[in-house]
Amino acid sequence: MKKLKNIKILAGDDKTYNNVRLPFEEKSLNFFNELSNKISNYKHIEKYPDLSSVAFFCRKANLINFKNKYLDNNQIRIGRGLVFHIAPSNAPTNFLYSLIFGLLTGNSNIIKISSKNYDQVKIICALINELLKNRYKNLNKFIKIIQYDNSQEKVTKEISQMSDARIIWGGDKTVEKIKKFEIKPNAVDISFADRYSICVINSKKFLSLRLEEKKLLVNKFYNDTFTLDQNGCSSPHLILWYGANLKKVKEIFWSLLANVVKKRYNLIESAAVNKYMLLCKSLMQNNNIKDLKIYNNSLYTLSIKKLRNDVTNYKGQWGYFYQYQIKNLKELKKIDTKKIQTLTYFGFKKSELKKIILNYQLKGVDRIIPIGQALDLDFIWDGYDIYSFLTRAIDIK
Amino acid sequence: MKQNIIKRIEGYEKIGVVKKSFFPEELKKLTKHHFNKSKEYKKLLIYNKYDLNNVKLNKFPFVPTSLFKEISLKSIKDNKIYKILTSSGTSGSAPSKIYLDRINAQNQTIALSKIMTTILGDQRLPMLIIDQNPNVTTNTFSARVAAINGFSFFGTDHEYILDSNGKINKNKLRTFLNKYGSTKFFVFGFTSYVHKCFFELIKVSKYDFSQGILLHGGGWKKMESKKISNQLFKKYLIKNFNFKEVIDYYGMVEQTGSIFLECKYCLNFMTSYYSDILIRDKNLNIVENGKKGLIQLFSLLPTSYPGHSILTEDIGEIVKNNSCECSNIGKSFKVHGRSTNSELRGCSDTI
Repeated sequence: MKKLKNIKILAGDDKTYNNVRLPFEEKSLNFFNELSNKISNYKHIEKYPDLSSVAFFCRKANLINFKNKYLDNNQIRIGRGLVFHIAPSNAPTNFLYSLIFGLLTGNSNIIKISSKNYDQVKIICALINELLKNRYKNLNKFIKIIQYDNSQEKVTKEISQMSDARIIWGGDKTVEKIKKFEIKPNAVDISFADRYSICVINSKKFLSLRLEEKKLLVNKFYNDTFTLDQNGCSSPHLILWYGANLKKVKEIFWSLLANVVKKRYNLIESAAVNKYMLLCKSLMQNNNIKDLKIYNNSLYTLSIKKLRNDVTNYKGQWGYFYQYQIKNLKELKKIDTKKIQTLTYFGFKKSELKKIILNYQLKGVDRIIPIGQALDLDFIWDGYDIYSFLTRAIDIK
Repeated sequence: MKQNIIKRIEGYEKIGVVKKSFFPEELKKLTKHHFNKSKEYKKLLIYNKYDLNNVKLNKFPFVPTSLFKEISLKSIKDNKIYKILTSSGTSGSAPSKIYLDRINAQNQTIALSKIMTTILGDQRLPMLIIDQNPNVTTNTFSARVAAINGFSFFGTDHEYILDSNGKINKNKLRTFLNKYGSTKFFVFGFTSYVHKCFFELIKVSKYDFSQGILLHGGGWKKMESKKISNQLFKKYLIKNFNFKEVIDYYGMVEQTGSIFLECKYCLNFMTSYYSDILIRDKNLNIVENGKKGLIQLFSLLPTSYPGHSILTEDIGEIVKNNSCECSNIGKSFKVHGRSTNSELRGCSDTI
């Protein structure tokens, strides 16, 4: 039980632990449920929509679903030991999701949070501490949330050497940096690299929706994209339109979206200029752009000439989408690279999409998800089965 | 662009053509010029289905200043590059690069001198520079050095009073004031340097700047963090150092030369024959006078790069119904600082 030096502890005590338990243990589920209540009751919760989302996520009723889905009573699994999480700096509540993964799989956790001092982080950590000091004292062995300056590579090195698993958020650059530090020979890394996500919409099915249903779908699309200013790795940048009447469909879809954006989105001035700059840059440099439609700077759509596998470089932000019409789903093969993470869809049967993966054995596409659920984290994420990765499987014959 | 823009504007002035009538026509010519000379700029206009015959000020296409950090935008061949101006850029980002040919650089100097005569008169004055001697050896200049060089043109007997550590050399200052302090002289510096320097001086002893005309500008960010308003700063300088005049200016490295001087009377920034301004909201639509928004600037000087109509990240407002005599030439405006940077959301960073 070594003490860590040169760090700031936001939650938990100052010792390091390496304890294991069975996954989805009752006490941990209760812990998150109480935390969920406390977060929901926070007096200024309305200021932080992401706090509401994470509170909703860590309700016991929700986490039980994961238990039912993943816990297999015919198999013995137990936590790996110490999990070191490197949380992303620009999604303030993400560390709590990461903790849920680590704790429910039965591990001790050290979570490094960026030095940006988000309110959400302070609020959550204070509530966690409250629980750890009272009813959940024994969870101190499993939860530690820390901050230290990135220049203190020694700390990263030291914790890495003790860890049985690391969860590295933050894209290519961070993964590269953290991977320089060795972990134990039998330890595992879950690395979340830079990804690209797309969306496919069946135009015929979309047209057949009633207006209210169309609006609902467009709102879901908004949630997938504008919530994180289109920066989430699972937020789509390229929309593929499948079928006939495409001109009409696109016009309806984007106009409805522009209305939603007008009502729900606050684009600040500096982002407005940056967004326009990105547009100018692509128009000047990308030779694969056919045409452009601007909906009041709140929404850009750029049609591309050809579906090529370099589309994963076509990234928009703050409501800036590329689009292309496809005749059949087989065309997905043209853009198939390992970069592609989430395919959100509307108007297709699960089985049709499953077939593409099975028939064409794609290199990319880790998630096939209905529009509206792009940002919903799950124990299967980015191609990893996190539940398996963070537990040790025991074979008894 | 056969005849030089400076000559043309002189011509308009002579025969009394008002700015309203020549300015949009000149912008139209410039837009066409860059359309023909810069293939990147041409693409931008084609995708936006821009009508090259437009003469409405609010319909001219604009380029965001940050684009000069991302792409080399030139309307000249590489062998015509005479000077490259660079901006310091926000930390971590690449600097802007502005490519000048000989004519463009020359026009900047001439336009600047025409604007400067209004405060300095026709004669060159002994000049005190609140900075280090830049000792330029390449053809690439930072915005700061470019400004120092540009303004130095209006001075003689230049004295740079900061040493290599950024400290004031008080001996040099005293010598300068003893020698030139009894008649009109010119003081120039970046706002944040001027601020630091004079706050340091006040602690030492009294200096007499009663014949000094101080021009300062730029260096936004540092000033904002100190939360001192321009007006308070001006009062402070006049009260403690007895300055004859303290004048703030606003300008962009993308439009060097056509700077905006503060009006002595109404204290707003003035547009000149070479420049104009519009204010846009976050949807990039025009806002009415008196309302705040993003500053779009026009300059008739840029011929070697498409920077004649730029969208800045600064927030400002056009003064509504300004009755001051400075508004005879054109609009006057206030600058409220940089738009606050958006925090990048998402999961792609851990710094």
